Amino acid sequence: MAPPSSEITPLDYTRYDFKDPETYRVRIPKGLSREVVRRISQIKHEPEWMLEYRLRAYDHFVQRPMPDWGPSLADIDFDAYTYYADPLGEEKPKRSWDDLPADIKNTFERLGIPKAEREFFGGVGAQYDSGTVYHKIREDLAAKGVLFTDTDTAVREHPDIVRKYFGKVIPYNDNKFAALNSAVWSGGSFVYVPPGVDAGIPLQAYFRINAKNVGQFERTLIVADEGAKVHYIEGCGPAGEEILTGEAVTPIEGIQTGQTVLNSDGRTTTVEKTMVRPFDGELVEITPVSLENAFRLTPEHPVLCVRAENVPEFWAGEGVVNDGTRELLGLTPEFVPVGQIVPGDLLHYPINRTEHDVPSFGDAAMALLGYYLSEGCVQMINGCEAVTFTFHLDETEYVEDLSRAIVELTGKTPWVNRQPAKHAQVVGVYSKELFAFCLEHAGKLAGEKRLSKTIMELPPAKQRRLLETYYRGDGNVTQLGDVVIHRVMTISRQVAFQVQELQARQGIFATIFSREPFEETMKDGRTISHRRLYTVHHRLGSDHRTVHRWGDAFLVPVRKVERRPFRGNVYNFHVAGDNNTYLVKGFSVHNCTAPIYSTDSLHAAVVEVVGEPRAKVRYTTVQNWSKNVYNLVTKRAVAYENALVEWVDGNMGSKITMKYPSVYLKGRGARADILSVAFASEGQIIDSGAKAVHSAPDTSSKIVAKSIAIRGGQTSYRGLLHVAPGATGVKAAVRCDALLPDELGRSDTYPYNEIHEEDATITHEAVVGKIGEEQIFYLMSRGLSESDAIHLILMGFLAEFAKELPVDYALELNRLIQLEMTGAVG
Amino acid sequence: MAMSLASPHSLVVQDLHAEVAGKEILKGVNLSMKSGELTALMGPNGSGKSTLAYALMGHPKYKVTRGTALLDGQDLLKMPVEKRSRAGLFLGFQYPQEVSGLSLAKFLWTAYMQRHTAQDADTAGFDRDLKTHLTYLGMDDALLKRSLNEGFSGGEKKRVEVLQMATLRPVFAILDEPDSGLDIDAVKAVGETVAKLHRPDAGILVITHYQRILKYLKPDRVHVMVDGVVALSGGRELAEELEAKGYDWVRVGVPGTSA
Repeated sequence: MAPPSSEITPLDYTRYDFKDPETYRVRIPKGLSREVVRRISQIKHEPEWMLEYRLRAYDHFVQRPMPDWGPSLADIDFDAYTYYADPLGEEKPKRSWDDLPADIKNTFERLGIPKAEREFFGGVGAQYDSGTVYHKIREDLAAKGVLFTDTDTAVREHPDIVRKYFGKVIPYNDNKFAALNSAVWSGGSFVYVPPGVDAGIPLQAYFRINAKNVGQFERTLIVADEGAKVHYIEGCGPAGEEILTGEAVTPIEGIQTGQTVLNSDGRTTTVEKTMVRPFDGELVEITPVSLENAFRLTPEHPVLCVRAENVPEFWAGEGVVNDGTRELLGLTPEFVPVGQIVPGDLLHYPINRTEHDVPSFGDAAMALLGYYLSEGCVQMINGCEAVTFTFHLDETEYVEDLSRAIVELTGKTPWVNRQPAKHAQVVGVYSKELFAFCLEHAGKLAGEKRLSKTIMELPPAKQRRLLETYYRGDGNVTQLGDVVIHRVMTISRQVAFQVQELQARQGIFATIFSREPFEETMKDGRTISHRRLYTVHHRLGSDHRTVHRWGDAFLVPVRKVERRPFRGNVYNFHVAGDNNTYLVKGFSVHNCTAPIYSTDSLHAAVVEVVGEPRAKVRYTTVQNWSKNVYNLVTKRAVAYENALVEWVDGNMGSKITMKYPSVYLKGRGARADILSVAFASEGQIIDSGAKAVHSAPDTSSKIVAKSIAIRGGQTSYRGLLHVAPGATGVKAAVRCDALLPDELGRSDTYPYNEIHEEDATITHEAVVGKIGEEQIFYLMSRGLSESDAIHLILMGFLAEFAKELPVDYALELNRLIQLEMTGAVG
Repeated sequence: MAMSLASPHSLVVQDLHAEVAGKEILKGVNLSMKSGELTALMGPNGSGKSTLAYALMGHPKYKVTRGTALLDGQDLLKMPVEKRSRAGLFLGFQYPQEVSGLSLAKFLWTAYMQRHTAQDADTAGFDRDLKTHLTYLGMDDALLKRSLNEGFSGGEKKRVEVLQMATLRPVFAILDEPDSGLDIDAVKAVGETVAKLHRPDAGILVITHYQRILKYLKPDRVHVMVDGVVALSGGRELAEELEAKGYDWVRVGVPGTSA
């Protein structure tokens, strides 16, 4: 086989399974009517005034036409959405993550929210489709009178404040989507900071759309009373989208043309065309002996296999793999429509032979990463970056092995902290470089650890060392006669599949199965939720096995074939070359149609912010919705005398975004600072911008909008600068920078200025830039690869925005840009 | 990259022809350098000095049509740009590029890490050397936090090029007009620093129009390019002679060249 190129994205489907089962206590059937609006209000036991408000908004929504400007929204079918789906129903949001249903808790843990709450935030809210499932504020903030609840609770518990401000900044008849939100809103955050109180560390809410065709309509109201100060952060994520996505795993709906994937020869091939079509019928679910490698396809979709009937009887059930591999000779796998597959057929699982050595990854680095994967953790201790590892008290040999690696890598001697009470010893070292290294190559939280592409492509001899130390931590070995069973357990699905791939490269087919998440009642009556646990398992020794080696592949028997009804979109793509194949859960399938459900979702939020005199409010958002979400959000703030309102607004995901954070400067000396970023790739339109409405004298506003459009993505800046009659002494500055890294992206600027006072000082700059050949050459002449050069230039372009983000968000931004850039240029 | 003094490095350019936009600029350049040498490359405007520099570094617009360039026997012309850099070639640009939002400090560290691994990177040494070099060049630390070359004065940009050379410790450095646009004091600072940084295990080629920077550099050899070839070579005194007689003297005095 020819040496494979280094640019490979092996295809795996692990992410689509991340969509949680759609179980809701309350779910109103699809479609919108006055009845639906009444029902939502009734479920929430709302006061009459709110119901009346909703109905007025509904009537306005019905008669209000769609916007006749901006991106086309003609494909939105309002009757196709579910307007209310709440996992908790009438129960109140929880104040402990452990009180949540296990699958929902899992979801947020995978997203890192509970951990982030402990480390960075003063309060956290979490919303799952329509329902707020979690809301909690730190006691010291609550003691100062800070209110932070979901908006539904606020309507019931703080009616005086809510009635004073709700719908006052953004009236229901402001626009069609504000009207829709006002009619069917559910959840969102309510924040009230009393006069003179500084809320200190940020409050955060996280919003997630899980079910297909569910609209999310959260309603957020933030009030900073006189002289108060607050920073509120909003994170958004779609179904199936994980923060810190593994480099080696791409969901099928995320595959883009020009990207490289692996084919059945274990070679790279380029995606030439992607397709999606609606499907209504039965899907075939194939479960091989490795249960977690199950996959679903439409019946006609061909898979590469050896038919059971062709396997000589004496082979069946006794192929020996692993050491002393016996190859299944004289048989050639063929493509068979998956609908004809029967149990006992052998599926073709090619070994990924991509190798790209990086000499700097030596023994110490590999050993350390293995320990890190099982026992390690990156954290801030006393404000310093540290990496720590927890071992059992008996594991002194491993502690010494690890310590040697740390000394070699960092030049620093780690500390060892023995905790006899916990039977544990903790090894740790302060090192910015090691912190970054572990984060980059092995991920952060236990549930979302994953190995980087660099590691997955190192020579197998190096990877063996990583497996060795990883198994020391998370694994166990059982001797049964002359058979040795090796097992390793992890809550990271990514790691399980990556370990399977690494073992394959060692010539070992390991199976994966998982244990369902479950709840366990402890002695004191407390319920503990256990997350799904994956076990990767293989045996060495003279064992009768059913998996056979076939050249650079394994042949893996089918254990179960089931048919399941399915209605939704199915995906497929064409790849270059004669071998039009790709890998589904590791198995070779021919280009055809593989299903992943996904249809458009609608997110229409309303966010109202009030800055009373001298208040300071900052609202930070990074939205990374999946690329099937219509994100149509109205965000507006009012700033009274000498108040400061800041919007920091990043838009990376979604199919279409229309969002123009605004500040109405209504008191003398009020200030607005709006920093907006848009990143649009293939199939995306981000129409964003900002508005500053100066209706009082001596007010000032600063708007910085940055956008990047690549691979045919479109960004637009749509801005309004209004200076009302009587608003003298206004200062306003607008700067729009667009960057078009390739020839395909498009960027437009639509600035509107309405200036009614002559003494206003207005500056407006708009620059559209390209990444110049000279700029790239300059960086490459210093030893950077072309893609690193482009990444540095892009991150430099966004630096002004990135430095305003909390550290986790900034890291995520960096990764997102890196992922988007892979294969985009060069 | 560990260098051994016992095996001197060499950069050998033979019969190099290169064109830009279909027009042949280099018409058979022959040039060789050894580590420890400081060489000056002089010549009138348009003679091909900068083209030689870009062609060796691998600029996509400069197409080599014939000839070879070997760094310690390795074929430079077959390597992508970044590999040439990692192999030890450095180009100090006459017009350095700006990168908004990328701090000089981060850029230097990123470039440094292209030739070091997490294991052998010496953070403390990096910081210490950086400080020393900044002092040599009479530069303020504050520059490190600013975006690369953005809003830098002409003099600051030239010094930053020299700072990059000092940080990356190339085997062969080509400095394309490090003195152009500088006042007398800046020429002195740049000239003296380059001389100070010149290591016995590395070679430097300075491209310049004028003799004034050579006063501080004291080149071992001087080459003069005219019309795409190296027309004349000699010792340090050649530069002085050129200063006195002008480039026309070379054109007239060298057989086979045309004015």
